[in-house]
Amino acid sequence: MGTARIGAAAASTLHSLCALGVAAAYFLAQRVCVLDLVAHPAQTLRLLLVIEAPITIGVYSWLRRDTHGCSVWKAIGRGLLALPVGAAINAFGAIVLGAPVGIKYWTVTAYWSLLMSLFTFVPAACAFGPSRMDWQRILSFSKLLDAVDYMISVPAYGAIIGAWIGAWPMPLDWERPWQEWPICVTYGAIAGYLTGMVASVVFIVALHRKVHAKGE
Amino acid sequence: MSSSLTCTRLTIWAFAAVLLQIAGLSLFLIGFFPVKPTLPGFSGPESYRMPTSDPVSDAEEVEELPPDRLRSLYREVSKIPPVYDRLILMVIDGLPAEFVLGRGNKPPTKNMMEAMPYTHSLLSSGKAAAYHAKAAPPTVTMPRLKAMVSGAIGGFLDVAFNFNTQAMLEDNLLEQFYRIGWKLVIHGDETWIKLFPRLFHRQDGVSSFYVKDTVEVDFNVSRHLEAEFASTDWNFLILHYLGLDHVGHIGGRQSILMAPKLKEMDDVIKRIHMNSILDQENSDSHTLLVVVSDHGMTDGGNHGGSSYEETDSLALFIGHGVEESNYSPYDHNEAFQVDIAPTLALLFGVPIPKNNIGVLLTKLFDSLTDDQRLRSLELNSWQLLRLLKAHLPGLHCGESSCYSCEKGLETNVPTSEAKQRLCYLFSKAISAHNSWQFRQHSDFISADINYFQVAAESYNDFLRNASEWLSHRATDKPVNVLMSAIIMMLVSSVLLMGIVFCLFRRVHFAQVGCCSQLEDPYKILHLDEVFVFIVIFLHVLSLGASSLVEEEQYTWHFLTSTLYLIFLSRTIESLLKRPNSVTLQNKDDKTVLPHSSPTDARNNSGHKFTKFRPSKINNHGTCRLFSVVVVLICGRLLRGWHQGGVNWIYLPDISKLLVHAGTSTIKVCQILSLFAIIILGSHAIFKLKSTTNFVYGVWSSLLLSAFLVMLHTMENHIYDLEPMNLSTTSIAQVFYVVASTSAVLTFLASPWIFPVYSMEKQMVYQVRSNSCSTKQRDSFLLSIRETTYLIGTTYTAFWCLLQLLIQQPINAIPILLIYLQILFSIIYFSADRSFHRQWVEVAAIYFLGLAGHFGLGNTNSLATIDVAGAFIGISSHSAVLSGILMFVITYASPSLSYLSMVMYIDMKDITFISSTHEYEWSIFLEKMIALPCLLPLLFNSLVLTSFTIILLLMRNHLFVWSVFSPNSLNVYHCCGCLCLLCFPGKAGDKYHAH
Repeated sequence: MGTARIGAAAASTLHSLCALGVAAAYFLAQRVCVLDLVAHPAQTLRLLLVIEAPITIGVYSWLRRDTHGCSVWKAIGRGLLALPVGAAINAFGAIVLGAPVGIKYWTVTAYWSLLMSLFTFVPAACAFGPSRMDWQRILSFSKLLDAVDYMISVPAYGAIIGAWIGAWPMPLDWERPWQEWPICVTYGAIAGYLTGMVASVVFIVALHRKVHAKGE
Repeated sequence: MSSSLTCTRLTIWAFAAVLLQIAGLSLFLIGFFPVKPTLPGFSGPESYRMPTSDPVSDAEEVEELPPDRLRSLYREVSKIPPVYDRLILMVIDGLPAEFVLGRGNKPPTKNMMEAMPYTHSLLSSGKAAAYHAKAAPPTVTMPRLKAMVSGAIGGFLDVAFNFNTQAMLEDNLLEQFYRIGWKLVIHGDETWIKLFPRLFHRQDGVSSFYVKDTVEVDFNVSRHLEAEFASTDWNFLILHYLGLDHVGHIGGRQSILMAPKLKEMDDVIKRIHMNSILDQENSDSHTLLVVVSDHGMTDGGNHGGSSYEETDSLALFIGHGVEESNYSPYDHNEAFQVDIAPTLALLFGVPIPKNNIGVLLTKLFDSLTDDQRLRSLELNSWQLLRLLKAHLPGLHCGESSCYSCEKGLETNVPTSEAKQRLCYLFSKAISAHNSWQFRQHSDFISADINYFQVAAESYNDFLRNASEWLSHRATDKPVNVLMSAIIMMLVSSVLLMGIVFCLFRRVHFAQVGCCSQLEDPYKILHLDEVFVFIVIFLHVLSLGASSLVEEEQYTWHFLTSTLYLIFLSRTIESLLKRPNSVTLQNKDDKTVLPHSSPTDARNNSGHKFTKFRPSKINNHGTCRLFSVVVVLICGRLLRGWHQGGVNWIYLPDISKLLVHAGTSTIKVCQILSLFAIIILGSHAIFKLKSTTNFVYGVWSSLLLSAFLVMLHTMENHIYDLEPMNLSTTSIAQVFYVVASTSAVLTFLASPWIFPVYSMEKQMVYQVRSNSCSTKQRDSFLLSIRETTYLIGTTYTAFWCLLQLLIQQPINAIPILLIYLQILFSIIYFSADRSFHRQWVEVAAIYFLGLAGHFGLGNTNSLATIDVAGAFIGISSHSAVLSGILMFVITYASPSLSYLSMVMYIDMKDITFISSTHEYEWSIFLEKMIALPCLLPLLFNSLVLTSFTIILLLMRNHLFVWSVFSPNSLNVYHCCGCLCLLCFPGKAGDKYHAH
């Protein structure tokens, strides 16, 4: 069903919508509000969040798996609910991996984990809802079924891996301002997210080829 | 029979690989830290003669002269009258030259200037000559003191003896002064007294043991000043002030105590200088005051490495012979710490110590005549030439035959460029000196200043080159030796890898053959398995970046936590999967395993630890989830406990907070963690199925030891009043006895305890397992497992108690955290045995051990080794015992992880063996013991081998060896643990034969 509904072109359009959201937010921050991620991490992250959240929730609610039993509004509601839950999970992961816990970091950690939740948790929550099997499939990253699975999981994993790699320069003694938490991690996450989007389109094209080959 | 043969063969191969590894490492160490040839004996009158190629004529005149005659003899042959007759050496421990002389050509900061007004007035009026005396690493007190008095750079291995200060046997200034009848007096650091136990006429040593004390240590030195000024019986007074180093250790360079301490030092300098001026006026005796520091300090106040901040030490000469120069006192005057020795020797008319590689500081000889100045340069050159000859056998250019340098080049067939060059320079200097002398005698009037300068410059040329070459000898590495060492280590790594691979395949097939709960072996690796490889790869890669080596604690915490996060995500995934397919799974299990029911198998090893009833499979998942989260949180707390490393050490952490909160808070933490460890340990022990009297015995000895540790903790709080508390020492000694006897007893006795139990229990077990063919084997396996479990739990619990006793009080909670982490990991792994492959689990425990190692505040720098704990429970100074204790303290966490593997192997899924007939029990032994033994060894050898390769590539960066030594120690340690782990195996072997 999903495979039939979403082609590679549609997937790349939707992805570029999300990517455009990120890019627009970034340029808005730089040009209009004169905000810099290095100098004002909290404000920039907040701006990114405000612009990206409606786009992501909208796109993935439209892509919801259960089209008949669940209205778009319900999916959006699920997404809004999932945002803080996912943020809590992401914040747990970040803190366990060594993110600072001092009071002055609370706001940036909160914004960062909300943004990460938007990249990782919210799309799956919008599209799948409480469906156990879907979640399990995404987590195990093995038997991915259709284009939607790829569209959700590959960018999410990309964002996580990007953030993970982005944390490596933090302990180095280069004394650059961007080595502060969570600046380079955010850069890494966004880069990974964008790469994941491209990769997911490639996967979807490959998937279609396979389906076609099987069909013939 | 054949399988037991392979078992022996496996052991032999493994040992061969380990031995090869150790041999390669030793070879590498020898190649990397070469033992330089040193000249034995002491310089005598022969040092005032031109060195000859004949060693016999050099070594003559061994008969002892009385001090007075020796002194006059020296004065006669040296042709240089002593400039001074009294020497005061004031050592300010850890004072960076930057504080006094500034950095580059800039004067120091304003508040530093204001802190030392008198010194700066001396400097600016030209009454003092100051140098940045570059200290050679390792920047630790004892090797630096040795370098100052002997002029030689000791080998790296000297650091090992820093904690075991032994009498200095090499030629040195103090011995030379003693020989000419000087009276030596020392007030200050007792290292001096340990180095020179019989030379001092009067001594008052202070200990640097209590680093917190910054006032008393210095007061104990300064209180002698008046008396020493009044008395005239001494010729050489050493004052060693430790306070500034202590200030640095407590608060770093920017400590608020620093300026007052500098002021105090300035006052001491003022008092001494005023007094020596008075002396000069009254009795025409000339005193030279030399203010030196043994090493600098980093911004955090530590030392030991080779950074500019640590090696930048001070040499300040204050005396009448220092002539005013037109340079600014804050010009960057670079010298070496070793230069102090020849300078003082020549100024005071004693022979230069034999192994000196320093060059005299010419500024201090400005008051002498030209002839005397050239003579002092000549003496220094002769001494260096003698040393060069020891390094370069066949160096003949000192002969009169090669006075002409061109000729010398032709006649001497040089074996190396260095030889040739040094020869040439020496000949040039000698000929320049000769032509100056010739001019002096033949033509008095046109005694050209030019000739003098040519001679002095060519002497300096030779001296600097020779000194540089000799000091580079210490870092000169024979590449061939290093390469062969690396090849040996590579071979051993490959061998280990091959063994592990073979083992893995065999065990794996055995596993697959009978139990297909695991997916087929050709399936692609799971994420956690891939990640273990990534961890090793990234760790090796991170060793190539110096700042990541400095911050290795972050690397390990990050990687270990990521591994456990992956475990967490897999657990959640399986939790999501389970409820829908649980019935299906169970059916599958039953069809595959007809011999033993799966629930029973789970019961065997699962419920020992889990607090949850294992009746519902879902509870396993919850339990696993809980365990992983506990491990993760403990890991994060550990990471926040000590802000280690180099760059971020100033950031706040929990230990700083606790220290700030006061000793009573720390004490409460200690008691709390003690209770927690006892509860956990007893809980673990009573998870045994059989609670025989023996188990109760072990438990009560555990309680007794815990009581002793608590007593020790309680007693210890008055230690600031009384340094060596007798009762705490005896308590610690009793603890050592109790803990070691019960550990040994458990280990020896338990294999003979459980068979009895298993025979009795066999009936019960038979009913439960309802498999007739394997009942005996099952009971046997069960007893084996009980044995290893008991040994493992006892060892880990006692190890934790020992750590609570000897670690710093602040580390009590981290010990508990590491113990918790390891226990919960084992719970996690035992909850579902087929969830991860065994090697992943072994790797995870190994990684936990390493992450904990850094969590306890250890770093790759020598500076963080805890010395204070190494003397707990030792009544007399014993190098071996305190060395062992220091090792135990430093490697607390890796050892705990190795010991816990004994406990862990019991948890492994071995039921499949019982269900098959064709597999001998040797496979079970292999699976149980061999893999947990060999895998850490393999990881270690991989890391070590790649690290040595990195070292070879970066051998000119000096920082590397401060990292290398802890790492190389680690492999020895790992080997020791291998033996320890093999013993239970052997015991099992014995038991099997029985």
